[in-house]
Amino acid sequence: MVRKFELPDVGEGLAEAEIVSWLVEVGDTVTEDQPVAEVETDKAVVEVPSPVNGTVKEILAEEGEMVPVGNVIITFATEEDDEGTDESEAESAVSAVSEVDDEEEAEESESGTAAKGGRVFASPSARRLARELDVDIAAVEGSGPGGRVSDADVRAHADGDEDEGVESAVTSATSKIEDKEEEPAPTGDVARAGRDQTLAAPATRRLAEEEGVDLDDVPTDETRDGEAFVRPEQVREFAEAQQAAQAADTEAVQAGQEAGAVSTTPERVDQRETREPYTGIRRTIGKQMETSKYTAPHVTHHDEVDVTKLVETRARLKQEAEERGQKLSYMPFVLKAVVAGLREYPVLNSQLDEEAEEIVTKHYYNIGVAAATDAGLMVPVVDAVDQKGLLQLSEEMNELVAAARDRSIAREEMQGGTFSITNFGAIGGEYATPIINYPETAILGLGEIKKKPRVVDSESPRDSEANGAAVSGEVVPRHVLTLSLSIDHRVIDGAEAAAFTNTVKEHLQNPELLLL
Amino acid sequence: MVVGDIATGTEVLVIGAGPGGYVAAIRAAQLGLDTTLVEKDAYGGVCLNRGCIPSKALITGADTAHSAASAERMGIHADPAVDMAALSSWKDDVVDQLTGGVEKLCKANGVNLIEGTAEFDSEGSVRVMHGGDGQGSETIEYEHAIVATGSRPIQIPGFEYDEEHILSSQGALNLTSVPDDLLVVGAGYIGMELSTTYAKLGTNVEVIEMLDSALPVYEDDVARVVRTRAEELGVGFNFGEGASEWEETVDGGVRLTTETDDGERSTYEADHVLVAVGRQPVTDTLGLDAIGLEPTDAGFLDTDEFGETDVANVYAVGDVAGEPMLAHKASAEGEVVAEHIAGEPSAMDFQSIPGAVFTDPEIGTVGMTEAEAEEAGFEPVVGQMPMNASGRALTLDEPDGFARVVADAETEFVLGAQIVAPEASELIGEVGLAIEMGATLEDLASTVHTHPTLSEAVMEAAMNAQGHAVHTLNR
Repeated sequence: MVRKFELPDVGEGLAEAEIVSWLVEVGDTVTEDQPVAEVETDKAVVEVPSPVNGTVKEILAEEGEMVPVGNVIITFATEEDDEGTDESEAESAVSAVSEVDDEEEAEESESGTAAKGGRVFASPSARRLARELDVDIAAVEGSGPGGRVSDADVRAHADGDEDEGVESAVTSATSKIEDKEEEPAPTGDVARAGRDQTLAAPATRRLAEEEGVDLDDVPTDETRDGEAFVRPEQVREFAEAQQAAQAADTEAVQAGQEAGAVSTTPERVDQRETREPYTGIRRTIGKQMETSKYTAPHVTHHDEVDVTKLVETRARLKQEAEERGQKLSYMPFVLKAVVAGLREYPVLNSQLDEEAEEIVTKHYYNIGVAAATDAGLMVPVVDAVDQKGLLQLSEEMNELVAAARDRSIAREEMQGGTFSITNFGAIGGEYATPIINYPETAILGLGEIKKKPRVVDSESPRDSEANGAAVSGEVVPRHVLTLSLSIDHRVIDGAEAAAFTNTVKEHLQNPELLLL
Repeated sequence: MVVGDIATGTEVLVIGAGPGGYVAAIRAAQLGLDTTLVEKDAYGGVCLNRGCIPSKALITGADTAHSAASAERMGIHADPAVDMAALSSWKDDVVDQLTGGVEKLCKANGVNLIEGTAEFDSEGSVRVMHGGDGQGSETIEYEHAIVATGSRPIQIPGFEYDEEHILSSQGALNLTSVPDDLLVVGAGYIGMELSTTYAKLGTNVEVIEMLDSALPVYEDDVARVVRTRAEELGVGFNFGEGASEWEETVDGGVRLTTETDDGERSTYEADHVLVAVGRQPVTDTLGLDAIGLEPTDAGFLDTDEFGETDVANVYAVGDVAGEPMLAHKASAEGEVVAEHIAGEPSAMDFQSIPGAVFTDPEIGTVGMTEAEAEEAGFEPVVGQMPMNASGRALTLDEPDGFARVVADAETEFVLGAQIVAPEASELIGEVGLAIEMGATLEDLASTVHTHPTLSEAVMEAAMNAQGHAVHTLNR
């Protein structure tokens, strides 16, 4: 028998996911739990395992496609089915068609509850939608109480039908390109006037007909009796532009075919601009940023800290760490300094529970460290920073960042953070406006550590100690780190932000404080 | 085509301006189609002119008189005098207002109105005969035709309607004085509505019915409530008797002879005999053979889910399109057909068409009965609420009847309802919506209903079906 496999809920409340790659092909034998596809979800790529032992009968989603959770993405022929396995070797058009038929039958029997007594339980609007989308409502599986069919079920079924269509790689590539066009016609950059009525001389009309051009689409500035008027030259010009665009389309289709039916790289429709789908991680990041920015009123507090002593300390410890096989960066020190700040100003380690209207202060310190990866921004979380030494932190962080970069990181490793740090200085830059990793309420951005001329105050014993012979008021080169702290102003006030920053600064200025 | 006749063309030709035809015409015009509506008689059809509206007006008058006269229990003493001529004139005003409204709406929506009787000439054209001598005729060429000619009362041989001795339902609605004695042949819904009405106006009513029960299309317990109440109002029932002949009496009344299957004869005397034995579709005057369209034996036109007949571009809606012959079904079909012609994704996929009988108490039904649900493959569960447990029914002094909800036991989908109660015709709407929406018993039971109202009975019946009714004992 045929076992359909629906895209499972791969992440908390996720509505859809992108099929990154298929790990099996039609006809492959699979065993239960064998990964069959890689699916990109909320910042992670997860493998989807086969639910059964059997043979891959049909693959119903393309690589790069966004699939709603619950849509059938693959079907397996399980042992009871001999028919399907025999045919799978040579997929003729005939067998493909007959498979679709089989499927429809299977669907009909599955929807037994909804179609009980010859009736489909659905609202009149859902039934009308089904007619609009040319869906047989009796074949739709209802997700409502008792199996009631909703509008969403009808839409999902309609989308599913499209996926199940017997499409060749060529047609699917073509339709993909067309989908991306803003204009309905296959010509990308030919401006269409799209009028309801156009005046033209009979000869012009004949010319338009010969050239296969719709007069209403030909751009013109001229009018007669208040209606647009088109001349023969304009028709010729438009026809040429249309042909050129069609040629470009054909080229793009061919390029698409060569690159395989699906490609995540931008498709070269036009030299001047390219388009790529706003999907997967990019979209997840986008949504998250949007939510944060438009939910939490951001205020960013800027400051700088003299980290000359930290630079020296780290230089000393770096060698020690290397002997133990660890690459020690500044980040573990910053983590520790941040925890010191959070202990003193716990409000920065909080979350606003909007529903309950409560500010939830966390008394554990899981710090997210934003990492730039090829796929985009990811924020792995280092747990229990307060309970770990510099080396352990260093080790854990390096592992997490590496996992994020090669996208093998698990979702759980990016969840549960209480505060985040972003190190834009690693690439260059002094100040920025970090966006809070919502629903956290604060994020600390680190600039680049640069040598800068600074006035050293000998009144401060620590500074004079650090710089030996420095005299009060003297300008000397110092290592300076810039800090940008964004806060959710609903929860945190500017004064608290400044006070927290001061504590962090203090610990970065005097690394020995981190030992306390 | 007549020599010299110039045909006019229209995209949509609607024949008949009843609740099916005028709705189809207005909707088609709204959707941008050039629409022509042909009506031979009066806008609004049977419903507005000879059926629903005048009968409901008369029923309201009779109810008012009756309840005033029978309110002694509440300490109200009145002896209302019924001025039948005035009641009839008020009723006519109501009808005029509505039919005038229909005509205005048609015009306002850009429907071309033509008076006359349409007959198919050939495929794509009809001939409209204008009423009266010398009025002539004209030919209309259509792209789509919608037949909405409705129905007329069935006549019994030998009992041709003269609307004096032998009344049709239309004649019974137009009496200008309250008769002392009325014989009603037929105990279907029209016979029962008019029997109760005239009984309330003070007429002695005897019902003659060939079958052995009243309202035979309804379940026994539903029909029983109405029949018992009619008997309380003084209506006499004579089952198993068919009207065989009649003669005029010396005082201008009617002497009716009936016969049983065994040949037993009885005679009755009354001022009038109302024959209400059903209605038949009007398809015989349309010249359907000119387009090769053949009605069924019962005279109906078979249609598909879009209302299209076996002849392409010829549609049928309302009574001509088959049972149930109800105005709201006609309107719903009219809308679908117009939308379908205009290319909209419309189709007749109504899950249920409600029915109402304006007897005392009223009957409202929708969807399936318990037996029908079983036959359709469901395992039905039924919940019921007697109206004598309803606070509102008691305060209306109308405690007869019940509300019953039928659902599928497994999924709890609501499948039907039978309500015999005051305002059952209104109450049934809620269940109709529930069925169309695919609502469950829980949906009905958990919807908060106003108290004290009759509609609470629907909620209670749903709760009863779930086995947790509060105000009645669970079955």
